[in-house]
Amino acid sequence: MKVVVTGCTGFLGVPTVERLLAHGGADVRCFLRRGSKRARLDEVLAKYPRQKTEITIGDLGSPEAAAKAIDGCDVVYHLAAALTGAPADMFLNTVVTTRHLLDAIAARRSGRPKLVHVSSFGVYGVATVPRGAVVDEATPLEPHPERRDPYSQAKLRQEQLVWEYAAKFDIPTVVLRPGVIYGPAGGAFSTRVGVNLFGLFLHLGRDNLLPITYVDNCAEAIAAAGRAPEAVGQAYNVVDDDLVTASRWLALYKKRVKPIPSVRVPYPALVAVSELVARYHAYSKGQLPAVFTRYKSATTWGGNRFDNAKLKAIGWRPIVATEDGLGRAFEYLGAEARRAS
Amino acid sequence: MSLKVGIVGCGKIADGHVEEIQKMPEVARVVGVCDREPIMAEQVAMRYGLGYHTHDVERLLAEQKPDVLHITTPPASHLPLAKLAVDAGCHVYVEKPMTLSLADTRELLQYADRAGKKVTVGYTYLFDPPAREMRALIDDGVLGDIVHVESFYGYNLAGAYGSAILGDPNHWVLGLPGQLAHNNIDHLLNKALEFMDADEPRVTAHGFVRRKTRFGDARDAMIDELRLMIDGGGTTVFGTFSSHIRPAGHFARVYGTKSSAHVDYLARTVTLESSGSLPSAIGRLVPAFEMAARFATAGARNVRRFARSEFHFFSGLRFLFSAFYESILAGGPLPISYRDILRVSAMLDDIFAQVKTATRPVSS
Repeated sequence: MKVVVTGCTGFLGVPTVERLLAHGGADVRCFLRRGSKRARLDEVLAKYPRQKTEITIGDLGSPEAAAKAIDGCDVVYHLAAALTGAPADMFLNTVVTTRHLLDAIAARRSGRPKLVHVSSFGVYGVATVPRGAVVDEATPLEPHPERRDPYSQAKLRQEQLVWEYAAKFDIPTVVLRPGVIYGPAGGAFSTRVGVNLFGLFLHLGRDNLLPITYVDNCAEAIAAAGRAPEAVGQAYNVVDDDLVTASRWLALYKKRVKPIPSVRVPYPALVAVSELVARYHAYSKGQLPAVFTRYKSATTWGGNRFDNAKLKAIGWRPIVATEDGLGRAFEYLGAEARRAS
Repeated sequence: MSLKVGIVGCGKIADGHVEEIQKMPEVARVVGVCDREPIMAEQVAMRYGLGYHTHDVERLLAEQKPDVLHITTPPASHLPLAKLAVDAGCHVYVEKPMTLSLADTRELLQYADRAGKKVTVGYTYLFDPPAREMRALIDDGVLGDIVHVESFYGYNLAGAYGSAILGDPNHWVLGLPGQLAHNNIDHLLNKALEFMDADEPRVTAHGFVRRKTRFGDARDAMIDELRLMIDGGGTTVFGTFSSHIRPAGHFARVYGTKSSAHVDYLARTVTLESSGSLPSAIGRLVPAFEMAARFATAGARNVRRFARSEFHFFSGLRFLFSAFYESILAGGPLPISYRDILRVSAMLDDIFAQVKTATRPVSS
């Protein structure tokens, strides 16, 4: 069996390649763009000298490259997506690229490969879900993408496209929806903890449970989804056990990385500020962007909880406990901070 | 009457077009967007609540019958799209650079002119608040006769646009005759136009590549530093396009016989240089405070504009749209003369003919 991983030099991509190699049983093709920084990937490949691996250079922005990426593969692990950039870039590098990949898969006359697609918690329409409610895989997808941030908009359209192609071309498809992926080489703060405003950290997440997943655990979930035949046609939340609150995350950062000035913003105050920001945006005809709206705030800081029972039912278990994961992540962040100072 | 506007090309700049048009519903409204990649057209329509999007520009023209078509596609498609639009009875707004050559620009303008349709181009910084403020100073005689202009345009290759270009070996910018510089130095050249009398300004250009080799393809050869010296006929111009100088500024220094002004398009300030007229050591002491006071005054002016909601990011774009639409509706003069559009196109041809052979790598 041969599998291909897109986005394989990324934060999640490298551990995903490692988990696939660790499980064995498949040759792994790493599909990456020319000029990608691949030192971390090369380290992983070097750890498994007896496994058959290959590097294919290409860009999913090209349909021809997408066809080359999946050529001869039985499973496609699709991780590549834009994390930052202008909205047009997000759609170009997340949705259009995915369509090229899907077109390539659909063009196979027979034996279409299984697609394991990495989506996001951002696709859920949680603004109207009661605060604190549990969000599982049956929760509807976002009905008002125009009210969301560009990343969520692009990831939602991407997942919709994946399901459209799955239905139309009978592509065996599994979708994973990770929460906040963290770990060494990852970011310090999810917006779910808060946002930095001119040097002052607005702690908006308060005592909400953070839907975190350690990067190796998320990679393990991707590998598990690729192996489980019963996963086809299903979507899975990816979130670890023993979650911590946003307050605990911020406290750990202050203790292990560096002290930062922060202010805790109660949810009613956030709602009021969001309303003011939205009104000013309208009054001034967009002189400042509507970074906060009630809808966006309810989505990100409303305090929903997320369920991982369905993922566990296909055999996934976290391979790194949350306390260990946090230890490794903050050790990395602390070392980075010391290096920078 | 409210003009019906169609937009073809749903990349990053299309957002600015939609946003600014939506701020002037009494003058114009967006009736549809088009991109040959359907997802790109769809995403703009979704984010801005537009009721029509398509991947086929001929359908947009036939079904929505816009009065004006904004062309925000890569420049190689500007000429054929503009002709289609003119044939459909549209006036045309074209993003810069207008076309790939002087010959194409001339053909585009003549084609529209023969059909009685108007054309303008996205020289938006000519209408940003500092440019208008500088023009008022000149009209009031504060600067005297203009002797020399320095036009500086800094670029950040790590920004959203730069990353997109370097991230894609097939990016359309790499296909332009002058690649990255070709897509940007309209902004550098057009600011000098009003100071140059010559119909054919003489340009000397030097291009450099300062980045280290990284990709092993066409991206590594892309010029990222350009220096220009222009004889405008009585007035001279130095032009700097730089991807490495920090901060990546965007300014013009206008040197006159009475005074000189620093026009900063990022900070949106226009400040006169201090003359230092006092004697001895005092003459060296006072100018810094004079300059500080002038910057404070310029900053306070910006605060007042902000308070009045007149400090939008795309101020120049909106001003240009308004002036263009007014020209269409009232039959008045165009905001940018065809002579100026042709002069920029001619200089671009000249510059990229020179740097094609003069480019050499510079070590970092």
